[in-house]
Amino acid sequence: MFDILVNLFPYAMAFTMPILVTALGGLCSERSGIVNIGLEGLMVVGSFSAAVFISRFYPILGGNALWFGLLVAMAAGAVFSLLHAFACINLRANHVISGIAINMIAAAMTVFFARTMTGSGNILLRNGLARFSVPVLAEIPLAGPLLFRQSYGTTWLILVVLVLVWFVLYYTRFGMRLWAAGEHPHALDAAGVSVYRIQYSGVLLSGMFAGLGGATILVTYSGEFNGSVSGMGFLALAALIFGKWKPLGVLGSTLFFGFAMTIANASQAEPALQAIPEIILKVFPYVVTLLALILFSRTTQAPRALGEPFDKGKR
Amino acid sequence: MKRFGMGSFRVMAAVALLAAAVALVGCGGSGSDEGEGALRVGMVTDAGTIDDRSFNQGTWEGIVRATDEFNLTRRYLMPSGTTEADYIREITNLRDAGFPLIITPGFKFETAVYQMQARYPEVNFVLIDGVPNNGVFGDGRSEKVAPNTVSIFFAEHEAGFLAAVASAVEIGEGAFGFIGGMEIPPVQRFNWGFQQGIAYANEHLGTSISLNPRDVLYQGSFDNVAAGQQIAAQMFDRGIDAIFCAAGGVGVGAINEAKARAADGAWIIGVDSDQYEQGVYADGKSVILTSAMKGVDVAAYDMIAAQLEGTFPGGETLMFDAASNGVGIPEVNPNLSERTEEKVAQVLARIQSGEIVVSAQQGDLIR
Repeated sequence: MFDILVNLFPYAMAFTMPILVTALGGLCSERSGIVNIGLEGLMVVGSFSAAVFISRFYPILGGNALWFGLLVAMAAGAVFSLLHAFACINLRANHVISGIAINMIAAAMTVFFARTMTGSGNILLRNGLARFSVPVLAEIPLAGPLLFRQSYGTTWLILVVLVLVWFVLYYTRFGMRLWAAGEHPHALDAAGVSVYRIQYSGVLLSGMFAGLGGATILVTYSGEFNGSVSGMGFLALAALIFGKWKPLGVLGSTLFFGFAMTIANASQAEPALQAIPEIILKVFPYVVTLLALILFSRTTQAPRALGEPFDKGKR
Repeated sequence: MKRFGMGSFRVMAAVALLAAAVALVGCGGSGSDEGEGALRVGMVTDAGTIDDRSFNQGTWEGIVRATDEFNLTRRYLMPSGTTEADYIREITNLRDAGFPLIITPGFKFETAVYQMQARYPEVNFVLIDGVPNNGVFGDGRSEKVAPNTVSIFFAEHEAGFLAAVASAVEIGEGAFGFIGGMEIPPVQRFNWGFQQGIAYANEHLGTSISLNPRDVLYQGSFDNVAAGQQIAAQMFDRGIDAIFCAAGGVGVGAINEAKARAADGAWIIGVDSDQYEQGVYADGKSVILTSAMKGVDVAAYDMIAAQLEGTFPGGETLMFDAASNGVGIPEVNPNLSERTEEKVAQVLARIQSGEIVVSAQQGDLIR
């Protein structure tokens, strides 16, 4: 059984990372009080813009094009998330409706542009990121083969993002303000801080991270933009709630989803896992999520002012 | 009366504008190369675009080849949706524009062609990979290939067989795997033919290729890219040299994984069309060993030629197989050696002469 785990670990990690970074994006937005169910759409935008950039610039930049593509995806995600920020913060629109609009626009617009460019609506990358084993560290017993073998560069990048988000949220002035904007924006306002600015930063961060998530899917395991990220954005949203809006909780819940889904996918090719019916493996993560939401719903720790448009004049 | 005068005109104008807009949107898209030709060949596309690397593209390539060669007129219409009504509208449009031969690729056209073949007996229809029926399952089902329609199927098992022989001879000694999409007859036939091909090569051509039952599986969808990558990764981890993917988007994930391992000699055997270009990872190098092709273009070409000669096989259900060069492997395979190509040509000749019979049934094969 341990062998199977060791074998699957790198693929499960690769599958988890895009969900993790997107959920961290969602965390930044929701901690500032703005519900963001547009994560799926922002991921699609990231995936699309990275695909366009990489397919155009690979001949010139070579392998570096992939990393620049990730940057482009973050920028595109941030720009697109401005729509959401403008609707929710300036226009005080309903956050859920604006998020749905983001998802719909992103899906339709990217497919439209991709079709105009390639005809088929798919953008194929010639090469993705190469996997590598971290020298020395991969030789450590137990942890070595699990963590440092066959890893993608993006995995380490996203783990760095996780540490940064955790640090910023708990130990910096900006993090505290972000936190306050979602709990009690009027107190923040009374302290002389611009709530709008804080909320804008939260939403922009979510756009950047979701864009990075979508692009990560592209350069690691999919290798082709095909107009969707197969629901990973919604999964990230579920992981955010499951992880109780906390960075480490989100890490735990996304790892859980990533592993459960990888095992379900891979069970077909692994005779040792075929003793368990496939259907049970496939519904397992969702059933556990449902149960967890039911069990923990009484002690849920959503930001208190989440989803309420901030009105400066209303105290 | 006067009260309604100007107002109703405005309303009517608005309605008319709206109707015009809807009509324009409804057209979807079209493309044509009009020339002065005798026969006008029309096509309605299935879901997806004309360059979908699948049925639409294959069919259109066949039409382009035939119409160029015989100096004919061609046109395709792209429905705005994939419902029966969308297909019927575009078929009617082609018929009204005076196209006596209409080609429709894919089983989704079955019910539309069933109705149209009766309504327009003067138009000839070619239905690829399906048989016209009324869409009812059970007692009320009616299947009918009218005298003005040809229904075309492919011998996927022979394509799988040839691809297996080519791959086995090229690799010589090793292990293969199979990833299917949904467990439906065309995919199953690819798989069964593939297994027979490996067995034949081991027995008669001196190869030593193993196929473990655990490495023959159907993923269950045509679009789960992540699962394709993960399953392929496991297979390659276990030392499998080549995987035959008859799985659409799942195969995209597998090809992506093979590219990452190209240095270690990971191969993918493509499906439906020549997937060589999709597997290119460095200058001129591809992970696609060869492809098990369905000659959709050959079918389209042959039907146009038959129509010109006045021998359109209306009312028939045709099977495109190796004997008619309707299935096989690509003409050019940069990853196969000359010796392999020769062996495959010999095996192809034996299938064509009936010396080798590839079964389209599961029998005692794996899955």
